[in-house]
Amino acid sequence: MKFPTLPRIPLAWYNLRHDRPRLLVAVAGVTFAVLLMFMNLGFLGALVSTTTNFYDQFNGDIFLISPQSLEISTTKAFPRERLYQASGIEGVRQVMPLYTEYTLWKNPETKISRAMFVYAFNPSDPVFLMPELDTVKKRRALQQPNTAFIDRRSRPEFGPQTLGLETEADRRHVTVVGQYDLGGGFAADGTLIMSDQNFLRYFSPRPLTEVNLGLVLLDPGADAQRVKAALEDQLPADVEVYTKPEIILKESKYWIQTTSIGFIFGLGVLVSFVVGTVIVYQILYTDIRDHLREYATLKAIGYSGGYLFKTVIQEAILLALMGYVPGLALALGLYELAYNATAGTLPMRMTLFRVGFVFALTVLMCALSGLISVRKAVTADPAEVFA
Amino acid sequence: MSSALPIASGSPPDVPTTSTEASIQVRNLSYFFGRGDLRKQVLFDISLDLYPGQIVIMTGPSGSGKTTLLTLIGALRSATEGSLRVLGQELVGLGSRQLVEIRRNIGFIFQAHNLFESLTAAQNVEMAVELTGNFRGKRQQAVDILSQVGLAERADYKPAALSGGQKQRVAIARALVNQPQLILADEPTAALDKQSGRDVVTLMQQLAQEKGCTILMVTHDNRILDVADRIINLVDGRLESDASPQQYADAHAPKSLDQKMFMM
Repeated sequence: MKFPTLPRIPLAWYNLRHDRPRLLVAVAGVTFAVLLMFMNLGFLGALVSTTTNFYDQFNGDIFLISPQSLEISTTKAFPRERLYQASGIEGVRQVMPLYTEYTLWKNPETKISRAMFVYAFNPSDPVFLMPELDTVKKRRALQQPNTAFIDRRSRPEFGPQTLGLETEADRRHVTVVGQYDLGGGFAADGTLIMSDQNFLRYFSPRPLTEVNLGLVLLDPGADAQRVKAALEDQLPADVEVYTKPEIILKESKYWIQTTSIGFIFGLGVLVSFVVGTVIVYQILYTDIRDHLREYATLKAIGYSGGYLFKTVIQEAILLALMGYVPGLALALGLYELAYNATAGTLPMRMTLFRVGFVFALTVLMCALSGLISVRKAVTADPAEVFA
Repeated sequence: MSSALPIASGSPPDVPTTSTEASIQVRNLSYFFGRGDLRKQVLFDISLDLYPGQIVIMTGPSGSGKTTLLTLIGALRSATEGSLRVLGQELVGLGSRQLVEIRRNIGFIFQAHNLFESLTAAQNVEMAVELTGNFRGKRQQAVDILSQVGLAERADYKPAALSGGQKQRVAIARALVNQPQLILADEPTAALDKQSGRDVVTLMQQLAQEKGCTILMVTHDNRILDVADRIINLVDGRLESDASPQQYADAHAPKSLDQKMFMM
């Protein structure tokens, strides 16, 4: 029968706790770094989600898009036949074409024109899930010539959005007959929705046989992956097949990896990381320097370098934990603040992944500082305490 | 020459019975600092035996190599030339890991107390007890030894709340708690006033007698020379004299002023 051994004296904790003001500064430093990382990732996540959250309002289970398309506002059209071919596949209930183009929208007050992104569809198709467009009856207004719905999220520079407002799009008369909330990715400042017939009028000579995005609805209970595989098998290489999560991921990747957005916020996270590392290093280094004689004494009385190594790393991890918790709490508060201040258009949302990711970064940051500063403690010469 | 001091020869003046094994046995020990052109010899051919129960004071001018010898015996440096047996173990040629093991059997008392400001007196002592793996009894052991040095009431005070003498007594308690057979002390009274210094050495003397351990102390403090059984004088890295306190005092009395006096 072995008795449980009582724990060692937690030297790391006592050393940290001993100098309260210094501990406070250290924790504040870590908290600040944690907060910066959360905010950078939050802005990045919010931007990426605004660039792709319109897909949530698209009524499709599977999407067809040209392999040369980059994201929704930079697409290459593909032949409408692909949709007809797709409709023959087992498990496919309905296929719907979506047409996109840019037009010049004239602000009726300032008379200044600005590029507006246009979605066009057949009003008998349930392409959109927004409450303003979810029944055939609500979409009927679009069937009149030279009409369009305008996005409430369009920038104020596009002018007023009152129903019945008349202005010009590409030097052609247009009447606003409805509003909705959608957005058009990162590139579009404002969006319109019109019928495919009006699309023909505004963008002549562009034919409706060239589709920008194909929406596929599946039979209830159909397996999306299986249908996707069948589509890929049947369709020629001028279209790619994505499920909804896949196409969102593809566009997020486009914005994060191949534009400067990901770089900018990634750099922000990196800078926060470095700042945090330096702060923790400074604190640990000063602590070790102040206690060098004591550490050397420990070595003199028979403690190994490994014990000192563990002590310093423990101090680093403790700082990480103590700084992370308030950092997370502050970040949650600021996320809420940013969300409310932008009336929900900047969807700053904490994700479980981010909570874990920043925690890992924080521990790494402190451990790294610990590793840089620990050398001085481990190499403390026990003979020097006699000098 | 008027000096009556015998030159160190490896046979101390007050040798106990020959059956007792020396706790420190130094033979022809030399030590160098630096390498290559900067190599400088600081200890020359030292031979010395210290026996259990002895308090030995090592004196000598600064730079004479006392501290170097003390750190070599304390396994804080590795010796390379000659032979150095401490508590029956040859230190010459040992690796740093083995030296750490040796150090656990030695009690160290430093000029500065070197206590952790963040730990209480008892916890500072417990840090030493933990080395033995005794976690269950560490608190009791620490409090017991603190009582022996007269600090039972102060066990839970941090160093900042203790006087200089009390801090040094905590450091002594830390050195003694594992009942080492050898205690090495470097100027333990230098930072203390006369009374505290006297208390500290009396305490060490008592403990040496009770536990039968060897105490080797470097000091310049003439006020405490009387506790020594032997006084070793080191000059320029060589063992200059090895005498009883009485002989030493006679030799250094003002009336017999000689050049050695000025080396002190």
